[in-house]
Amino acid sequence: MKKLLSAPALFAAAGVLLVVGVVLAFWYSPIDASSMGFSQKILYYHAPIAAAGLVAYGVAFVAAILYLRSQDMKWDRLGYVSVRIGLLFSILVMATGMIWGKAAWGVWWAWEPRLTTFLLACFLYAAYWVLRSVVDEEQRRATYAAVFAIIAFIDVPITFFATRLLPEGLHPVVIGPGGGGMEGSMAVSFGICMLGMLMLMAALIRRDLAIEDLKDRVTDLKTSLGG
Amino acid sequence: MSGWAQFKAILRKDLIRELRTRDMLVSMILFVLLAMIIFHYAFTVKEGADLTYFTGGMLWVTFIFAMLLGLNRSFAQEKDEHCLDGLLLCPVDRVTIFFAKTAGNLVFLLIIQAVAVPVFALFFIQRGFLGDLLPFLAVLLLADLGICSLGTLLATISMNTRSRDLLLPILFLPLIVPLLIAATGATTLVFAEGVGFGSVGARLLFLLGFDAVFLVAAWGTYDFAIGE
Amino acid sequence: MTVAEGAKYVAAAYAAIMAVLIIYYFMSSRRVTLLRRDLELLESEAKRQAPAPGAE
Repeated sequence: MKKLLSAPALFAAAGVLLVVGVVLAFWYSPIDASSMGFSQKILYYHAPIAAAGLVAYGVAFVAAILYLRSQDMKWDRLGYVSVRIGLLFSILVMATGMIWGKAAWGVWWAWEPRLTTFLLACFLYAAYWVLRSVVDEEQRRATYAAVFAIIAFIDVPITFFATRLLPEGLHPVVIGPGGGGMEGSMAVSFGICMLGMLMLMAALIRRDLAIEDLKDRVTDLKTSLGG
Repeated sequence: MSGWAQFKAILRKDLIRELRTRDMLVSMILFVLLAMIIFHYAFTVKEGADLTYFTGGMLWVTFIFAMLLGLNRSFAQEKDEHCLDGLLLCPVDRVTIFFAKTAGNLVFLLIIQAVAVPVFALFFIQRGFLGDLLPFLAVLLLADLGICSLGTLLATISMNTRSRDLLLPILFLPLIVPLLIAATGATTLVFAEGVGFGSVGARLLFLLGFDAVFLVAAWGTYDFAIGE
Repeated sequence: MTVAEGAKYVAAAYAAIMAVLIIYYFMSSRRVTLLRRDLELLESEAKRQAPAPGAE
């Protein structure tokens, strides 16, 4: 099982799923009937990236709790690696969201719930990095980062809620999967892309963890030789 | 000493200390009043510009930035005078410290608001809103609670880092956005249109939920935030 | 919006995604290579020093 979950295998699986998903999205799923038309095809990657980003933040949230309970540094490491990947995906969500916005509504930016929530998420997790960079002591840095990761993750859905429920009718544009719901053929391509993105996220996290491990070994050797 | 007694003791200490010198309060009040003047000149570029729908926003932005200043000041003072270290040596439940400090900050914020809101009404609000005082006060209290609890938690963390006061806004502002949305929406409604509990009800409930969630979160994590 | 116009945006979006992911992957690959090289150097240095442990 461990072999199956190793980074190269995950990357390969993710790659296959993503390619299949994209092919299906373009050749199997129909063009969206709503005004978005062909630009809706962006959704097949945009939404999975968004979901994967949020899952990455969720992983950081769980890792933070586990660190606070066990004080084991490996959870801190999982935490900041997941946040880094989450940030990467959030930036991608914003970029694709803006392109889609331009295609669908003719504007590069709109203060609508999803874009705004991800924008705030970017700032929240950038703050996480700033916090880490100004604490020198290892244990304390991990503790503070964990506390903030927990607070930040709770805030993301609350922010989404706030932007959706409260300003009434400010922006009639609502991003939805197109039309009323999703037809079967759309759902299939969508599901495959979603699975692929989640695997890609997991693969990237695993790979980054391995790199951190490598860094550790180098540092350890350096200190034992230099000392 | 029971938890409640400890809470009262710490709260008393903080209040007495500040009321004796009053530097923080006076500075924060001056800041808030000056901010209003600046807002007037910043926004009334057009002749007779109508700021009615900006009132909620102006008010809460001012209070949030004033609170950031106040938190930085009071926690920096505590750290420099090593008050917190002394407190930690006593067998006090960490969470009690959190609630006491949050309550203290809440009292300071309310004092400042008691001065600022009438002046704000004088400068910016044409219609009398005394009839809507109750919903307004509800919004005020709930929003204040959220600001103070999150602020206290984050200030405890940021004070122990290299950047100290520079870090607090960066941590605090993204987190407070949902509260800001709800509070400014509700406040603007009250000032501009004079609505009862009905239409601000949704926002009040949201603020209530926000406060509940973050109070619980702070309660769970404060032990770690303050620990050595 | 016609398919042709929409296609430009769709292509731009997918290109952006691919570009960012590939750049990220290659930047970290470069780091891995450098780290592996450091590791080899250090390990050979450690082996070199090992035969005479008390010779400090």
